[in-house]
Amino acid sequence: MLTLTNVTKKFGELVAVNDLSFKVEDGQIFGIAGPNGAGKSTVYNLITGFYPYEGRIEFNGRDLSGMPPYKIAKAGIARTFQIPQIFPSLTVEKSISVGSRFGSRDGLDEDHVAEIIRFVELSEEKNQKTGHLNLLGKKKLMIGAALATKPRMLMLDEPMAGSNANEIKALMDLIRRINGEMGLTIIIIEHFMKVLTELTEKLLIIESGAMICCDLPEVATSDKRVIESYIGDAYVER
Amino acid sequence: MRLKHMIAIIGVCYGIMAVLPIFVGDIRFVMNIMIMCLIWAVVASCWDLMMGFAGIFSFGQVAFFVMGAYCSGILAIEHSVPPVLAILMAGLFTAVMGVLVGLPCLKLAGPYIALVTFGVHMALQPVLRGKIGIAIGSGGSVGLLTIPPVSIFGYSFSSANIVPTFYLTLLLSLSCVLVIMFTIKSYWGVAFLALKDSQDFAMSLGISAFKYKLMVFALTSFLTGIIGAYYGHFYGVLSYRMLDLDLFSILMVMMLVGGLGHFPGSVFGAFLVVAGSELMAPLGAYRAVTMGALVVILVLALPNGMMGLFIGWRKRLSAG
Repeated sequence: MLTLTNVTKKFGELVAVNDLSFKVEDGQIFGIAGPNGAGKSTVYNLITGFYPYEGRIEFNGRDLSGMPPYKIAKAGIARTFQIPQIFPSLTVEKSISVGSRFGSRDGLDEDHVAEIIRFVELSEEKNQKTGHLNLLGKKKLMIGAALATKPRMLMLDEPMAGSNANEIKALMDLIRRINGEMGLTIIIIEHFMKVLTELTEKLLIIESGAMICCDLPEVATSDKRVIESYIGDAYVER
Repeated sequence: MRLKHMIAIIGVCYGIMAVLPIFVGDIRFVMNIMIMCLIWAVVASCWDLMMGFAGIFSFGQVAFFVMGAYCSGILAIEHSVPPVLAILMAGLFTAVMGVLVGLPCLKLAGPYIALVTFGVHMALQPVLRGKIGIAIGSGGSVGLLTIPPVSIFGYSFSSANIVPTFYLTLLLSLSCVLVIMFTIKSYWGVAFLALKDSQDFAMSLGISAFKYKLMVFALTSFLTGIIGAYYGHFYGVLSYRMLDLDLFSILMVMMLVGGLGHFPGSVFGAFLVVAGSELMAPLGAYRAVTMGALVVILVLALPNGMMGLFIGWRKRLSAG
């Protein structure tokens, strides 16, 4: 479904992504992990057209190079951001309808928007301005707006960051439902290894923009290089 | 704010304006002030759409107003273009200029956009006064002195026929304000707000920042150019002095008094500030100081302007 081939991104002298290649299969939940500054979010920004890059990124056989973010959204790739992004000027319903109106190839589909609001459990808040939502609500809103674009792949950037145990459980359930009920391919960047090992079918570990390992979660987390450079002995002992 | 509330406020403001000539139609001075209220309401609303809704800190609105005024005046004087056609051409010219100014701004963030657009404002004055301006017919430092009034089917809309001219201005101003209102309430307006609130998120949801930012530059400069051109034909004279900071700052005051990003507050603000400024005329040199002090007090007391006050009242009423 998504293929990155020899993708490199440099910011001046800094090589943020270094000759990275990996493949995400249709319907998969694919995890990306690595230390802070490893280039995980940069990979997202490259896939979604925020930065130019060297190499090739293909989505369903379509070359994404040079495509601006809004066209990539229409091509079926939706994403969320690490720091919750919302539209404080708009209500929850209007914010989610932005995805449907602008990102979906079918244009505004009010029934679908209503369905998404129910799906992400924001029905009670739908007429509220988004600024009044709590952190979990903001994250659900971002996911809802992304789902309203009717994507084929959803990319979540550290969805659990700053969340408590109950919120993490709620978000994990939501991610499972998106994958199971909607059949969407999901890529998830996360620092919580427990979340990744429970949710994902394949795990990519990167450091300094380069791949260390890309394998089944249980294999990736027991890889010596991954233990040394990222998760440490404490995780393995536990 | 909901569409019906916007329509109600605009209806009340323009409705009151429409009946006032019955009482003051023969007082030319008052009629002139009312015409100015209607003209500045459009410019302030365009600026509010740009800054308050699209979040683009453009300081070029007065420059577009002057560009429109000069373009139409030059076309009418130098090329004998009928004023109505000259006004339309001036609108198109300023829309193109708006897009040209907007293009470099797409790569810039807030304060840098303000600098670029203010640079356009500052550069326009020497252009109009200098050799380039004289070559294109701006009249240099003398300005344009013989701009013909708008004439429709042989009827001349000038200060000699102040009441019909007032109603033509009201019609033009109302049309422009309604275009702005429907833009704000359309999906264009939603795109502007989304880009203002979070550009990256908006883009990731399928909004083209390039397209919608250029649209807002084109639309606001078109409407500002049209009303600027009309202003030139109404007054009959134009001077580069319009680009001094007085007009620039008073327009900003109109927006702040009305409430930035609280359309149609800018319409209300324009009416209030123009009328207030004229009422304070007897203060002479102290007028600007008094005006400035009142603005400081108003902004501190009502950070969302008069429209914020209205919204607060409405919320309290609906809460019981």
